[in-house]
Amino acid sequence: MDQSIYQSLQTGIGLLLGCAVITPWLSGKRQWAGALNFLATLAAGLVFSGLAIQVLNGNSAPASFDLHLGGLAIPLLIDGFSAVFIVLISLVAAVTAFYCIGYMEMDHYRHYSLRSFHFCYPVFIAGMIALVTVDDLSTGFTIAWQMMTLASFFLIRFDHKDPVIVRSANKYLILMELAWAAVLAAGLMIPGCGWGTPLHQIADQLGMLDTGLRTLMLALVLLGFGMKAGMFPLGQLWLPDAHSVAPSPISALLSGVMLKTGIYGMIRTLFWMTPESMPARELQYWGLAVALIGVVTLFIGTSQSLKQVDAKRLNAYSSIGQIGYIILAIGAARFYLGPDAALHTLALLAILGAFLHVLNHAIFKSLLFLCVGSVQYTTGTKDLDKLGGLFALMPVTAIIAGIAAIAVSGVPAFSGFTSKWAIVASTLLSGKAAGIFVIFGVVALVTSAMTLATYVKLYGMTFTSVGVEWNEKNNVHEVSKAMLAPKAILAAVCLLQGFFPWLFVALFGRVLATSEGTLSQALGTPAVFDTLAQSYSGIRFLGSAGTPVAFSLPLVMVAMLLVAGLVALWLRRAGGAEERSAPVWLCGYQTLNNANRYLSSHIFDAFKKFMKWTGGNVRA
Amino acid sequence: MTSTPLPTLLSILQVFLNLLIFLALAPLFDGIVRRVTARVQNRQGPPLVQSLYDILKLLGKENIDSTGILPFRLAPLIAFASMLCVIAILPMAGRATALTQYADAISLVYLLTLGGVAVLLGAFASKNIYALIGASREMTTMIMVEPILFMILLLGVLKTGSLDLGAVIYGTPMAAFGLPGVVMIVVSLFGLQAFVARQPFDMAEAEQELLGGPFIEYSGPNYALFKYYMMLKQMFYAYLPIAMFVPLLGTGFYLADLALQLALTALVFLLIGLLSATHPRYRIDQAIRYFGVLFLIALGAIAVAVVL
Repeated sequence: MDQSIYQSLQTGIGLLLGCAVITPWLSGKRQWAGALNFLATLAAGLVFSGLAIQVLNGNSAPASFDLHLGGLAIPLLIDGFSAVFIVLISLVAAVTAFYCIGYMEMDHYRHYSLRSFHFCYPVFIAGMIALVTVDDLSTGFTIAWQMMTLASFFLIRFDHKDPVIVRSANKYLILMELAWAAVLAAGLMIPGCGWGTPLHQIADQLGMLDTGLRTLMLALVLLGFGMKAGMFPLGQLWLPDAHSVAPSPISALLSGVMLKTGIYGMIRTLFWMTPESMPARELQYWGLAVALIGVVTLFIGTSQSLKQVDAKRLNAYSSIGQIGYIILAIGAARFYLGPDAALHTLALLAILGAFLHVLNHAIFKSLLFLCVGSVQYTTGTKDLDKLGGLFALMPVTAIIAGIAAIAVSGVPAFSGFTSKWAIVASTLLSGKAAGIFVIFGVVALVTSAMTLATYVKLYGMTFTSVGVEWNEKNNVHEVSKAMLAPKAILAAVCLLQGFFPWLFVALFGRVLATSEGTLSQALGTPAVFDTLAQSYSGIRFLGSAGTPVAFSLPLVMVAMLLVAGLVALWLRRAGGAEERSAPVWLCGYQTLNNANRYLSSHIFDAFKKFMKWTGGNVRA
Repeated sequence: MTSTPLPTLLSILQVFLNLLIFLALAPLFDGIVRRVTARVQNRQGPPLVQSLYDILKLLGKENIDSTGILPFRLAPLIAFASMLCVIAILPMAGRATALTQYADAISLVYLLTLGGVAVLLGAFASKNIYALIGASREMTTMIMVEPILFMILLLGVLKTGSLDLGAVIYGTPMAAFGLPGVVMIVVSLFGLQAFVARQPFDMAEAEQELLGGPFIEYSGPNYALFKYYMMLKQMFYAYLPIAMFVPLLGTGFYLADLALQLALTALVFLLIGLLSATHPRYRIDQAIRYFGVLFLIALGAIAVAVVL
């Protein structure tokens, strides 16, 4: 089996690269080229998913494999952990490619050639897939990282006639190259390691170093991957600019999956590159440091996101915030895996939260970007001060965006809920054994209220409330079915993630069973893993006494809310009141002049001033 | 896999009893506030059941839809439903209901938030500037106040190491809370008016300036649902500190405990009435600063509880 999965990997990458060579020649026929791009991405995605399923169904972690490319040897390793990322990237890439067919026909893009777009798209996907399968920090890492970075750079600067966009793209390129340099420097500077040294050897070598040098090396690697993931304060330097100027489907890929490669790197670093011989205390300090960064990231990122009036910038900042939750969970898990065995089950809950949030965020954030893209497609703007009242005009997009917005806000039973529940619960339950994490948990909870405020604003100012311009224009309408279908698929996945979290816990169990390393050794044992009692209704986390101490049961909640909703509906009808519709009366003109509206930039004004010190302010 | 114990008949009855108590008493408690306010202003005041009359009357009045979109019609239903769920899972007087085992403290907080979201959804859908201003203030208050409520619950989480609601609310004897408990009681007293959205913290509705804020475009049964939701929420917030900090009698008689808790809740409403009748409204920026201080004090209490 081990050989065949690497064969499939090469086939899939080959398909993508082949498509990159062929499609640009067709780019005169824009939609044909788009369709070909989609088919290639889908075919490659199926190949990748096939190999991932094979890996996850295996009994143990597959052996690694050395790919010889000319004179270069690249170590590859696809374990259960990589497999999940591969599936995630394949899914979002294929769905987005389909969306691109319609989206790139937008009026604004008509005069741009799609040649470079269709070259870069598959290369970008191939780069991301490669990054989660290479097993070194030098040769393979460089190839994968550069494919991903250069391709995404050209995709971001697609609209190259606008100097602002080019500047944002350039900044992105420079910072990503710095991140690459940091990781590569660490990979080469560790004594005994050179080009093509696999991770487990790097880990062994790190074990022999003295603490100072080891700290420096790990810090460099985390810095590199953290910069990609959007960690505070590095994420703020590039992420909002790059994500907001790229074409929306590309933003969806950047935010939905590319950031996750940074998370992938951070998890690999903290749990695979930390040698057995490292003192437990030192590892706990790493956990604490990472968790602290995570908490700052989530708080600052979200409060900056609250202030934005550009819908895509808002989503981008919110990505920083959501990535913060994941980083917090990773750090917490690392910390809990210390000498105190009682905390190990909490480590399981924390890392499960990180895992779920990676999957959930990938889906709902891609979906949000695609929805904003659809709005931009029909209205030509993403400025929340101008948008409004689109619910009546584009109802399907509005409902799908609603699903994504409540998922990101963590409303019970939707997909963000269980992952945030796991992260917050794991921090709060540590109690006195790790007191600082309780405070982190409180901050995370405050922040989830801010996330809610952010998305209430985004949704309210786009789809409900009133818009001025399109009361007059009558060319604003729902986007084509071809652009709705990909969103509908993602929305379905999003609902699935929310309602059936136990499916993903079971998947996580497979990940632990088919990977090696600290996580599997410490958490994959039945004694620890069975503290997560799963059933159709959701997940229960068992405390030391064997009784559930925290539980997330989305299906029961949905049932409860439905019944209660029916009661409310009955009550509303009980009085036999008549219904009538009448327009709002506000002394006239509200829908005719933007100056008579309460704008997005006015909303939460007092709170925005209160939070001024967190930065990311938008000048009114 | 652990099997959950099948709910007993009694615990199922408990769900309905909870709902009955809240649905019946919330309007009466609201009546207390109106009566106290009236007395402070040298008025006679309406009868205690006036709020219930209001709701019944509204249910039969014309329902005017100003927008014609789904969120506007859905919002009152979600708000009311979410509050019913909160009440259904709440262990009253130490007894868990059949549904308590399906929702932990985090779920409770998020369910409470859902009600707030519904109010905002309705307000944003209203196409009315006043509604938007009200929604903006409501959300701001929510961001600041909900964590404070959560930290009160968190004290119980830290003592018992569980997020199960029964354990969180009743698992700790009063004395075991120690200094942080005392601080939290003070915090919940100072936060009370904000929890129940009464003066001086009724910026969102602010009848005199915003004419009801988020609810301005609602009428008839929709408005009745929102009003009922607000009363239930108010009673929940008044009841919670009582349940959390006043020890049960321990006589073994559920009804005795329940009666005591409800009597104390009524007292809390007297206090709410007095405070709201004697305080002018804060501006939203002043309120934010006030909540900020309260938040820090509560966080300090949590920090102390973690260290001790």
